[in-house]
Amino acid sequence: MADRKVCILGGGMSKWGVREASIVDMAQEAAKDCFDDVPVLKKEDVDGLLFASSYCGRRSFQVNAAPVIAERIGIKPTSMCTRVDTLCAGGSSGIILATGLIKAGMADIMIVIGGEKLYTPQRWETYYSELASIDHDWDGAQGIGLPPPFFSMTAQEHMKRYGTTKEQLSAVSVKNRRNGLNNPKGHFQKAVSLEEVMASRPIAPPLGLLDCTPVTDGCAAVILTHEDKAKELSDRPLVYVRGTAQVALHSMSMNWPGEDLTDWVHLRTAAKKAYERARVSPDDIDVAQTHDCFTISEIIEMEDLGFCKKGEGGPFVESGKSDFGGKIPVNTDGGLLACGHPFGGTGIRQAREIVYQLQGRAIGQVEGAKIGLTHNLSGLNVEHTILIYGREP
Amino acid sequence: MTVLGVPILEGLYPSTMDLYPLEAKEFNRIHPFYENLRQKRFTTTKCKKCGSVPFPPRVVCPKCNSDDLEWVDLPTQGKVLRFTEEVAGVPHGFEAPLIHALIDLGEGRKLLSRVVNCKEGQLKEGATVKLAVFDIPAMVVENRGAMEERPRVFFAFEPVK
Repeated sequence: MADRKVCILGGGMSKWGVREASIVDMAQEAAKDCFDDVPVLKKEDVDGLLFASSYCGRRSFQVNAAPVIAERIGIKPTSMCTRVDTLCAGGSSGIILATGLIKAGMADIMIVIGGEKLYTPQRWETYYSELASIDHDWDGAQGIGLPPPFFSMTAQEHMKRYGTTKEQLSAVSVKNRRNGLNNPKGHFQKAVSLEEVMASRPIAPPLGLLDCTPVTDGCAAVILTHEDKAKELSDRPLVYVRGTAQVALHSMSMNWPGEDLTDWVHLRTAAKKAYERARVSPDDIDVAQTHDCFTISEIIEMEDLGFCKKGEGGPFVESGKSDFGGKIPVNTDGGLLACGHPFGGTGIRQAREIVYQLQGRAIGQVEGAKIGLTHNLSGLNVEHTILIYGREP
Repeated sequence: MTVLGVPILEGLYPSTMDLYPLEAKEFNRIHPFYENLRQKRFTTTKCKKCGSVPFPPRVVCPKCNSDDLEWVDLPTQGKVLRFTEEVAGVPHGFEAPLIHALIDLGEGRKLLSRVVNCKEGQLKEGATVKLAVFDIPAMVVENRGAMEERPRVFFAFEPVK
């Protein structure tokens, strides 16, 4: 059988934030929102589920969560029902895997759900559990679980090497919080001023509270199928998965692959592979959701994704080139800084936003968007994952 | 009826909540790293077949797949390339400021490590730091019903005075 072309039919989200809900509750909310988005689809026709969640094993005491979620949302998978864990890129990993299965004819209609319940009844456990996010025995034991220290050093390096300023870092937060203003599903719907970001409570200088994504509960879901089935089930313009890449080069405590911490070799490799596979160049991308876990991250991503030259990410963001009306609008739904970051949910939230953009129904619409990109960095910058979507296959 | 359950774990050792490695030999084939650390030696494995010296230590050479490895010493002093002082959001088990540095150990090795015995504002880029070994809470291993405490050490770096 020839490879089939794979489309995302629709997407949904639970409300994201500090939620009075369990992971199983939020997975149901996201799945409902997603099924409501594709009303013609019958649930019994969904033959597979991938559930992207890193922390359900630890913070919800629930391993092998996929069959639990399948039962709760009322589907009976016959192709695949499994959990995916790539921390911050789990959702994107799920979409890549579902694409591969459908493309190969091993599944027909799959729902990919992802998300986390990160808040525990006592807050110390919420933060303490982050020590499991990275190489436990080497980095976790050094207290490098939560990533601000690592990205603080990355920001310092970028400032020294390229003259990036704290104003430029802050501009990322201002833009993304503004983009999230009208997104009711995100964690925050409140704009912040440049002064507020600059003066926010220091976490790991130069990064302050408003340079960091919050800790967030939530789930998101998308449904994928092959082109023929997509035409049957939806009147909307089709959105194809055109090209993907996931690159891991190290585990961080030693063995960083770049020349210095601002040199994201693995991101450039992932970008090159994804652009090649999607048969596009950075200039072809109309809208992007990139992994703004910290303000410095988005600046370096602009460079290593090829939207601007190395070292020019600061001025690129500050001059509005990554804003609506600029060269490439980035994080149009608010990104991680406004929506929050329930790890396994983020790649799916990004995919949902790109699908809405390419179908012309986003809350903050980029006019005429035809090609979109999503990007995640995961762990302590150990892995980069990219998906490129298009109105054409 | 009596409801058992474990609302709060009193007097039990939940290893899945332990931020430090399970260093005891029953749980870890690289336990010599920790035994060497106790002697203030910072060590890793060297492949006897192809000569590669990866860190962290392995049980199989990642280059040539040989499992014929030996323990060798790494430098215990290095220079601070960049550092960061985390002042808020420090995880349980650590105190603010939690200082981390990217340390150049020479021989092309860079290590991200915690810096201890150092006050906020004291560290400088280019400063020399050395290996610091300290006791951490013991882990508990059940041996034929008896609970045995296994003392442990761990490492960070500290400024050379």
